[in-house]
Amino acid sequence: MLELKNIKLSYGSTQVLNGVDLSVKRGDVVSIIGPSGTGKTTLLKCINSLARPSSGTIAFDDVRMDYQKLDRTAIQAIRLRTAMVFQQFNVFKNMTVLQNVMDPLVVVQRKSKEEARRIALEELDRVGLSNKIDSYPSQLSGGQLQRTGIARALAVKPDVMLFDEPTSSLDPELVGEVLKVIRDVTSSGITSLLVTHEMQFARNISNRIVFMDRGVVAADGSPAEIFEASSNPRLTQFLTTEHSIQ
Amino acid sequence: MFDSEVLLPDLWDILGAVPVTLAMALGIFVFSTMIGSLFAMVEYRRIPLLRELVVAYKVIFKGVPMVIVIFLAYYGLPPTSRFLTSLVGIDYNGHSTPNWITLIVALTLCVSAFQAEVVKGALNSFDNGQAEAAYSLGYRKTQLFRRVMLPQVIVAAIPDLANSIMVIMKALSLGFAIEVVDIFAQSQLTAALNFYYLEAFLIAVFVYMVIAYIVTFVADRLERSLRV
Repeated sequence: MLELKNIKLSYGSTQVLNGVDLSVKRGDVVSIIGPSGTGKTTLLKCINSLARPSSGTIAFDDVRMDYQKLDRTAIQAIRLRTAMVFQQFNVFKNMTVLQNVMDPLVVVQRKSKEEARRIALEELDRVGLSNKIDSYPSQLSGGQLQRTGIARALAVKPDVMLFDEPTSSLDPELVGEVLKVIRDVTSSGITSLLVTHEMQFARNISNRIVFMDRGVVAADGSPAEIFEASSNPRLTQFLTTEHSIQ
Repeated sequence: MFDSEVLLPDLWDILGAVPVTLAMALGIFVFSTMIGSLFAMVEYRRIPLLRELVVAYKVIFKGVPMVIVIFLAYYGLPPTSRFLTSLVGIDYNGHSTPNWITLIVALTLCVSAFQAEVVKGALNSFDNGQAEAAYSLGYRKTQLFRRVMLPQVIVAAIPDLANSIMVIMKALSLGFAIEVVDIFAQSQLTAALNFYYLEAFLIAVFVYMVIAYIVTFVADRLERSLRV
């Protein structure tokens, strides 16, 4: 359902993405792993057009778009089909939890307030925040902020969920509650891409693992193929390092 | 000798200048905040050329003493306004411009440079991750600004904006140089009539303090009710 071809992007003279090819089937849960600075987050940002590749194409179902020719309408269309969960949560600080989830539905999707509220309450219940709907971000823990971010992303009913290191900014004791929510979301059948350093978690929830290295997809396969049977020396080295850290 | 008997009559006299002082301060505050916000947006959006002009403006008006700007406006505004109006075929005698308008124009020019910094600081304090999140959800720039950014920027700017009201109040006392009567000027005039200078200026201090207290109190309350 989602296909990226030959994605290239550089920040100044630094080539971050060096021709990434990736295709994702409906219902896939793909974890993207790899060393820091290898373009994992940038790739997610390319998918919902927060970053603009210098070349390459993106296709949703049968509609293929060239990044060099993307206009406003196409970017908006892409953004309405994807939703991103950020490492730093990025919830709107001037809004309550409920308003955070409702606002995109009212402002962007032009739903009525009643319908937006109904959907928002549903999603907040799903992430276990029904008792915090009137709290402001300053009154929440990191885990609750991230669950708000997840509910906000889910509420827009995207075709693809993009998780960008959703637990990296959390205190260790708060990681579990967020991973549990992500596990629930991904097991519900929604297509998801997850950039993560939680190797065990990636292995458990994904049906595919993509290893990125130096701006390209260096290995791509099932969790078993990646974690147990890889012949890629860079991947082996990366997994050993990650394992020793964890 | 200090004479407490003149305090009450002096107070009534000086209080008479409070409404006009507050009205001028409010006018300067509103105009300078609007102009300063425009300047801040130019800098925040990094609009070429305009940005350089704004920086030059700020250097000039932050660097030159306000009293000089007041005198420049006093002597320069009448011929300038006469010339400009003549361009559009209107015969306007610039010298009939009331001095309080000249004072408002001069101080607005000066304070705008400072307000630009206040608003720029508040804009820079906005956490850009929220903008990224908004764009990823499909918000347009204007929607992001109205729904997310502006409410946070206003709250961040309130303490410094409240400060600027007091700076304006004090700067208005320079208006005495061009015969505009504010709280300070009124206390000077009152004292000139009865020669009780110390008493008159103590009353002025008291009036300024009360105004400062009210402004600070209101700003704190407003900030607390808006900050979440």
